[in-house]
Amino acid sequence: MSNRRSPLVIVSALLVYFFLYAPIVVLVVFAFNSSRTNIVFEGVVNQGPCGPFYWFCKLFDNNEVLNAAKNTLTIAFTSTVVSCIIGTMAALALQRYTFPVKTASEAALYIPIVIPEIVMGIGILVLFSALFTWINVTFGLTGDARFSLGLATVIVSHIAFSIPFVTLVVRARLHGFDKAVEEAAMDLGANEFVTFWRITLPIIFPGVLSGALLAFTLSLDDFIITFFTNGPGSTTLPIYVYGLLRRIITPEVNALSTVWILTVLIAVFISQRLESREV
Amino acid sequence: MLQKLRENKSLQGTLLILPTLLWMISLLIVPLILSVITSFGRRDADGNVIYTFTLDNYLRLAGFTPAGFDDLYLQILWRSLTLAFQTTVLVILMAYPLAYFVARAPVKWRNTFLFLILVPLWTNFVIRIYAWIMILRTQGVLNGLLGWGAGLFGQPFKPFDFYPSSGAVLVGMVYEFLPFMILPIYTSLEKIDGSLYEAAADLGANAIKTLLRVTLPLSMPGIVAGTILVFIPVMGTFVVSDILGGRQVILVGNLIQRQFLDARDPAFGSASSIILMVLTLIVTIFYTRKFGFGEEIASA
Amino acid sequence: MSNSRTNVWRGLAAIAAASLMLAACGGGATPAPAAKTTSTGFVCPEASPKMEVTSQELNLFVWTEYIPQDTIECFELVYGIKVNRDEYSSNEEMYAKLSAGSTSYDLVQPTDYIVSLMIRQGLLQKLDKSKLQVMSNFDPNYLNFSFDPGNEYTIPYQAGTDAIVVNTEKVTNVPKSWADLWKPEYAGRMVFLDDSRATIGMVLLTLGYDANTKDPAQLEEAKNKLKELVANVKLFDSDSPKTALIAGDVDLGMTWTGEAFLAQIENPAIQYIYPTEGAILWQDNYAMPVGAPHVDAAYAWLNYSMQGNVFWLMLRDFPYTNPNKAALDYAKGDTTTKVTDQNGNEVTPADIYNAYFNSPITNTPPEAIQNGHRIDDVGDALPLYDQIWTEVKGG
Repeated sequence: MSNRRSPLVIVSALLVYFFLYAPIVVLVVFAFNSSRTNIVFEGVVNQGPCGPFYWFCKLFDNNEVLNAAKNTLTIAFTSTVVSCIIGTMAALALQRYTFPVKTASEAALYIPIVIPEIVMGIGILVLFSALFTWINVTFGLTGDARFSLGLATVIVSHIAFSIPFVTLVVRARLHGFDKAVEEAAMDLGANEFVTFWRITLPIIFPGVLSGALLAFTLSLDDFIITFFTNGPGSTTLPIYVYGLLRRIITPEVNALSTVWILTVLIAVFISQRLESREV
Repeated sequence: MLQKLRENKSLQGTLLILPTLLWMISLLIVPLILSVITSFGRRDADGNVIYTFTLDNYLRLAGFTPAGFDDLYLQILWRSLTLAFQTTVLVILMAYPLAYFVARAPVKWRNTFLFLILVPLWTNFVIRIYAWIMILRTQGVLNGLLGWGAGLFGQPFKPFDFYPSSGAVLVGMVYEFLPFMILPIYTSLEKIDGSLYEAAADLGANAIKTLLRVTLPLSMPGIVAGTILVFIPVMGTFVVSDILGGRQVILVGNLIQRQFLDARDPAFGSASSIILMVLTLIVTIFYTRKFGFGEEIASA
Repeated sequence: MSNSRTNVWRGLAAIAAASLMLAACGGGATPAPAAKTTSTGFVCPEASPKMEVTSQELNLFVWTEYIPQDTIECFELVYGIKVNRDEYSSNEEMYAKLSAGSTSYDLVQPTDYIVSLMIRQGLLQKLDKSKLQVMSNFDPNYLNFSFDPGNEYTIPYQAGTDAIVVNTEKVTNVPKSWADLWKPEYAGRMVFLDDSRATIGMVLLTLGYDANTKDPAQLEEAKNKLKELVANVKLFDSDSPKTALIAGDVDLGMTWTGEAFLAQIENPAIQYIYPTEGAILWQDNYAMPVGAPHVDAAYAWLNYSMQGNVFWLMLRDFPYTNPNKAALDYAKGDTTTKVTDQNGNEVTPADIYNAYFNSPITNTPPEAIQNGHRIDDVGDALPLYDQIWTEVKGG
């Protein structure tokens, strides 16, 4: 008898899912709140042409939020892709090879995990400022041609803190990896790259995917480092929302979260249908 | 030349790690060195750093002030360690069944279940914490449900003070870091060949035995990775303790944040950061030394 | 196995596409219509004076939710300049970013106590008064403070106070002074500002000391008195203290102008009380950082956004004390135009002005101003304040 379908496991799992989603449900419900201050639920809103979906319509009129959302996604996708590639390379290097700087590299990879974000944020800002000042002065750049903080500096910073997480997760996956499969492929004439692409990668893929999801999540929510490394016009959602706390979190922000969740859920659903069709 | 690359394993390794090193050195080593240097400095009247060499900041952290022994900062460190430990244990207990469930689910459903775990994480961090306030506050959802339940039994009901409290902070921490444990555990559980379970069953092992002698040891790498991903950030987090603790729960993260912003004392802030980093490194090294990367146990 | 991998990529692509589509709609620039109206229907006044500007952009680094959206849209329409707005939610964050080297901003909004520090640190540049026709719009009572004598570096934006807020439905014995808040009957029912300077300053006032003292003995006394208070405080909040008040988590406490006003709208039983020892006065100002890349656009912005017929929007959107006389006069004089206020009601600017004028929260009574105290920079005593704060809260 396998404990695959043990009721204990299923019940525990469901309870944890419930725990994970309880605040989300509250969030979604409050997106329909008629009270603008959104502190107590005062009934379903029914204002303007959109009725109960008043806050959702207002959301799509709010250029600031949408711009912040666009920036957030751009940063998250770019930094995830880059850090996954670099992180997987690093995991392979550390798991399978020995080379002079190996111990130093392992130690270096711990730094972004242990360093307090504000130290990293301010440190990187000081660095970029010094670098850009030197570049601008040396090349005589002025006005808007100057190198300055912006989307690029944020992306670069996000990659920095994502790499170690990707590496960690992929390494966990690489443990006990049976090289026999790779060796067999090479014996059959495949070179290193083909072997990697068609044998190794598929096997470690769950690890890479986990790493990618981690990196994406970390980037989506990052506030402190983004705050210090961003420039005019590259505001992200976390900064926008964190700042809103000082004033009012209108149900608009709940509406944004709801839309986001719906989008992801729909995409997951579509992906699931595609998978079942393949079988 | 390609042939030379093929043969030189050491070179291959170095090339693979090169981009990582580039990023780490330029963006992290430099701020770190700056931090270390600053931690030995002093603060001038305006909050700038005077670069000198003094151990005052570290002494202050350890409790040795000119006015006598003051264990304020040691208490904060201890509180952070305790919270991080409690959070990690709770997170492991909650993450394991869910990771197990997903890892043993039919293949075509696994990614869906995984995404479902992550979806809550893709709303904004702060908003999720505020949602917990809505649940835990005096007139919140939880007290509302309990009050309704008490009404059913005809009992009088006085709302609980769930928020703000250190209990609320613990709930918030567990909530935020749960997925970071689920993912690594899932990754290593998923690797386990299903036939191992059948083999164990054939040999007469019941469910508990299989769990303890097969599943758990083989998933150690995941647990170790997850612990690192949870314990360390909890030590440095300040938003959760700020918001859910009514800003009365001071952890190391809060302390450091305050030094750089409100107190404008980067020297003391840097010293606190260094101590935090050293502490977490010690814990991590001790932990990975004891459990390895999980591989010794996994291969036993 | 490769099939499931393909489908995961497809799933990811679907999410990517959906999210990008989502972000793409609405992120574009609104085309300029013939008559200059904003997306809410507000008709943009002409710039007077209209200035010569060559810059194409303006970079603002400002408090969150502190500039009316209409003002930004109107400026963009009238001058054709793109406004980039980065935001912060505390002076300390703004200061940290600026002093670490961020030099891309044209204007910032520092509060009074941090201005003198920023001037000393060389972060701000002097304002060219010849380019600021708008100076004559201000009430002289809000000019020439000790944190910037002669207003060489700053011009006033909004002002306010920190005082006592009470939910009179729940509290029968309404406190009259800061010292009253130590009464045992209020235990576990209070919210206080998570601001070490304001709260410790308040404690110093109850002891009869200066709110900006550097005397360690006085501070030690304040620390002990504060410890008694903290035992009775349910929560500290400098983000949105009104939330706890409205939700019923707390019944009274310390908060600031805007919060009290908004709380009162939700629950008219909530009152704002100026304590006998004196409230804490504060003022937010505009300042120009050194290295501002678009100086001409900055002056154009200051002159336009602070015109009477534009700045009155602050009355409509944000409940704070308004130092701009021209704006107040404009609103008072307009009894015909219909506008929608923050609660969705159709009112005239004169109605909004009257609500502003009649509320002792926004229209601070002269005695309260006389009696009030301003927080100022304390230089090397700051770590003392912070130590007290950490000890009192973290112990």
